[in-house]
Amino acid sequence: MFLEFVEGPLWYASVVIFLVGIAIRFYEILARGVKPDLAVPRTDGTAGALRTIVSRSWTAKGFSSGAVFHLVAGYMFHIGLFVLLFFAAPHIVFIEERILGFGWTAAPHWVFIAAANLAFAGLILLWLRRVMHPVMRKISTFDDHAAAWLTFIVMFTGCMALLEGHDGLRALHMLSVCVLMIYFPFSRLMHAFTFVLSRGYTGAVMGRKGVQA
Amino acid sequence: MAKVVTEHDYARGVEVLRNQIDAKIASYLSSCVGCGLCAEACLFYTETGDARYTPIYKVEPMRRLWHREQTVAGKLAKAFGFGSDLTEADFAEWQEMTYDSCTLCGRCSMVCPVGNDIAYMIRKQREAFSAAGYTPPGLQGASKRALEIGSPMGVTWKALSAQIGHAERATGLTIPVDVQGAEYMTLFSSMEIMNFPEYIEAVARIFDAAGVSWTVSSKAFEATNSGIQIGSSEIARELVSRVVDAAEGLGCKYVISPECGHAYTAIRWDGPNLIGRPYEFEVVHILELLDQLRLQGRLETEGFDERKLTFHDPCQIVRRGGVEEPPRNLLNMVAPNFEEMPDHGKMNWCCGGGGGLSANEEAHDLRTTVFKVKKRQLEATGVNTMITACANCRIVMEEALEHYEMPVVIEGVTELLAAHLKPKAGKTEKATTE
Amino acid sequence: MTHLPTEEKRQRYRRGLRWAMALLAFVLIVPLIPYGIVAAEGQLGSNTADIWRDARNKDQRDAFRTQIQGIETAVLINNRGEQWRTFREKQLVPYGGYLLLGTLGLITAFFLFRGRIKIEGGRSGKLVPRFSSNQRVMHWFAAGLFVLLGVTGLILLYGRYVLIPLLGPEGFAITASASKEVHNLFGPIFPFAIIALMLMFGRGNMFRLLDFKWFLKAGGLFGGHAADSGYYNGGQKSWFWMTVLFGIAISVSGLILDFPVFGQTRELMAGSHLVHGIIAVVFIAASFGHIYIGTLGMEGAVESMTSGYVDSNWAAEHHNLWYQEMEKAGMVDVEPNALEEVKRHDDIDFKGFGQPNPQTKEG
Repeated sequence: MFLEFVEGPLWYASVVIFLVGIAIRFYEILARGVKPDLAVPRTDGTAGALRTIVSRSWTAKGFSSGAVFHLVAGYMFHIGLFVLLFFAAPHIVFIEERILGFGWTAAPHWVFIAAANLAFAGLILLWLRRVMHPVMRKISTFDDHAAAWLTFIVMFTGCMALLEGHDGLRALHMLSVCVLMIYFPFSRLMHAFTFVLSRGYTGAVMGRKGVQA
Repeated sequence: MAKVVTEHDYARGVEVLRNQIDAKIASYLSSCVGCGLCAEACLFYTETGDARYTPIYKVEPMRRLWHREQTVAGKLAKAFGFGSDLTEADFAEWQEMTYDSCTLCGRCSMVCPVGNDIAYMIRKQREAFSAAGYTPPGLQGASKRALEIGSPMGVTWKALSAQIGHAERATGLTIPVDVQGAEYMTLFSSMEIMNFPEYIEAVARIFDAAGVSWTVSSKAFEATNSGIQIGSSEIARELVSRVVDAAEGLGCKYVISPECGHAYTAIRWDGPNLIGRPYEFEVVHILELLDQLRLQGRLETEGFDERKLTFHDPCQIVRRGGVEEPPRNLLNMVAPNFEEMPDHGKMNWCCGGGGGLSANEEAHDLRTTVFKVKKRQLEATGVNTMITACANCRIVMEEALEHYEMPVVIEGVTELLAAHLKPKAGKTEKATTE
Repeated sequence: MTHLPTEEKRQRYRRGLRWAMALLAFVLIVPLIPYGIVAAEGQLGSNTADIWRDARNKDQRDAFRTQIQGIETAVLINNRGEQWRTFREKQLVPYGGYLLLGTLGLITAFFLFRGRIKIEGGRSGKLVPRFSSNQRVMHWFAAGLFVLLGVTGLILLYGRYVLIPLLGPEGFAITASASKEVHNLFGPIFPFAIIALMLMFGRGNMFRLLDFKWFLKAGGLFGGHAADSGYYNGGQKSWFWMTVLFGIAISVSGLILDFPVFGQTRELMAGSHLVHGIIAVVFIAASFGHIYIGTLGMEGAVESMTSGYVDSNWAAEHHNLWYQEMEKAGMVDVEPNALEEVKRHDDIDFKGFGQPNPQTKEG
């Protein structure tokens, strides 16, 4: 009953809010516009934008040693989450049955376990750093904590439902996923999509100046 | 005429800030996850450990305004009575973060994982703060002098022509002034005119040797743009217009930006956008021009400077300007013992005096503190001669070196080349080697 | 003529019946063949006790052969399983429970008897930096994992007795399933947390002579003055080494149990379970003491792990030698954030923190 509600009406409502919310956010950003750059460019801005969109996924040189902790935990979390999200067997089944109509090969079990451990460890470490480090305390908003905890709860309930033996656990996982999706467009989680814009804009500006950013 | 706002009016600041947020900034603020990595790239944080100097925290007023007025979540929160508007106290508190602890060096913009150009955001936040009158007195004074006298340091044409006279006597050359139809119009920064007039001599000699058709304009000789530093587009536009009018009046094909960082950003990248049209001339940096002359074989040197030396990349010329290779090509002509500092090139650490900090007395102590990173870079390289291409960097660093009692000499690239210039055939003048 | 067909029919019927009987006999007898072969080889005595002895072969030797390839598939009845079950239910569960409840009881009694250990001189308001943000992050990371694994582990161990009455069989089934998945999925991170703790807190945790003097005075727990102590006292060092040793034991046994795909025998699995269970219960009981004295039991202790700074009077009372060092280094009464600043200072050796002065009386 509950599972039917969560996987039925609530799921569809969350998908709609998620997609519409993201569209609104993109509209909010793009509608503000950017004035054309009248300075004669040194090199092509588009190439610069594309390069920066990719290159910022790699660690920049020139950090002081204080950044190592964050960089390591950051990669752990993002890589782990990516594998979990797209290569966990139950997720692929869900994507195949409910979203795309086709699926792909799931990651082997040991890869799944490793990814889950990386993602959990990374997320917890990042959040603890947020609570402990003076810089992080200064710049963290309520949203940062909410997003971290929601993501944790989604991952945690997913982990609890791993045996796929109880509808209740599956419903709990789906419920938390729905909450996350509804919260997503109104939070800093939007960086998962808007990073293309921010990296692109900066890459274009720097590209026009002839700097590889 | 543009005016420097000195009366506090935060409401005006809020209004201006609202309009500064374009799609770029909205995307930056949307993408920021508050990871704090920008702090590790900022010399104000790394050298003080003060969390307030985290780059993204410096634009907190902008983020708050954006979130409250320009996002669904913020609007909802506001409708339900959550959160608060920007207040006078916020402006008062953030003046230090906006001006005293940011040199607009853009190092943070290079490391942000989501690609935020934080330096650009701070530059835009300064628009609001300058409109609201929350600016350091030093910058207000510099901007006033720039508008009224024509130079932030109060250098008049009279003063420059005196220096030109000295240079002419020293070199035996005639420095062309207000020559209609000259190919290049040369700008100077007040720092050069007042503190390093050897730059004028160096340019004269190199251009003479290379056969460059050039001129100085008595109407617009100042390259430094205080408007960029205080963050007032209005002031910046007026200052750029003077140069544009003079250059287009003289019919020059090129305007040469001197060894000054922000001057280059102002005239090369911001200028056309400030006046709202492309120029009828091109802007080249002196280093770019010299490198071009080198390639054309018009810049010939003789002898070498055997000292172990290094190069300080001025932020606005290299990281924010894209002139990274020319100074190295030029140094390699005359300096066989040229060594790079750690983090050189586009990731170099700022001298601590950019973004108007050199004119901001309130930031003096902080500027000296953050120089510690340059000190470490120098110590790691182990050289006692530093070459740079920005008079502002140079004077700030000379002062700090004195404070830390470091026996390091600073020279400009152009001067160094002029000292090794191959005499023109038929002339007996001999390059002096140190 | 009419007789013949009838006789022939009868004969055919009889022949068919014989074949059917033979077939039935064959089907019934064939399964006995292996038994017969074994009997023919003389292994099967008239006494069936021998069969059963082999079936529950103690040495887990392959007494039988089977087509099924795998670990111990030729063991018909595994005695270890029963022994393990008996141990778990008759010893581990009850004695573990006594230990956990007993520890809680002792702590409660201690609290009632001794009360909260106050900072004697009151708070000075002066801050002394104690743990860096990285140290604190790793502490809470390990602590969080410890609690998560501890709670899910205890649910698996005691859930039948405690949770079934509360949640009912269905509710407990879900809880147990979730706990088992969480425990097994999070478990493998624990070894890394232990390694991180060793790296972060190893420095300064070696036992010294003065720690034994501290033990003799029971660290001032029962009144009187605490003996001299440096950055860590004897109790803290003990907890550190308990964490390391228990952590290693519980990690190794846990990994053996979590990934039974490397040819582990049942004996090894049962043994690991035994170690895992015993150590877990002892580790959890010990952690009660650590948690108590770090929070409720002592004023001014918990902030060393939250803000990273302690009050100078706390430092002077509980870690006098370290405090003297910090005083000498000018690290008493610092601004918050000083820790991050100091790390960036070239002139102060941050790494020197946490080292008891080599010139103190311990030699």
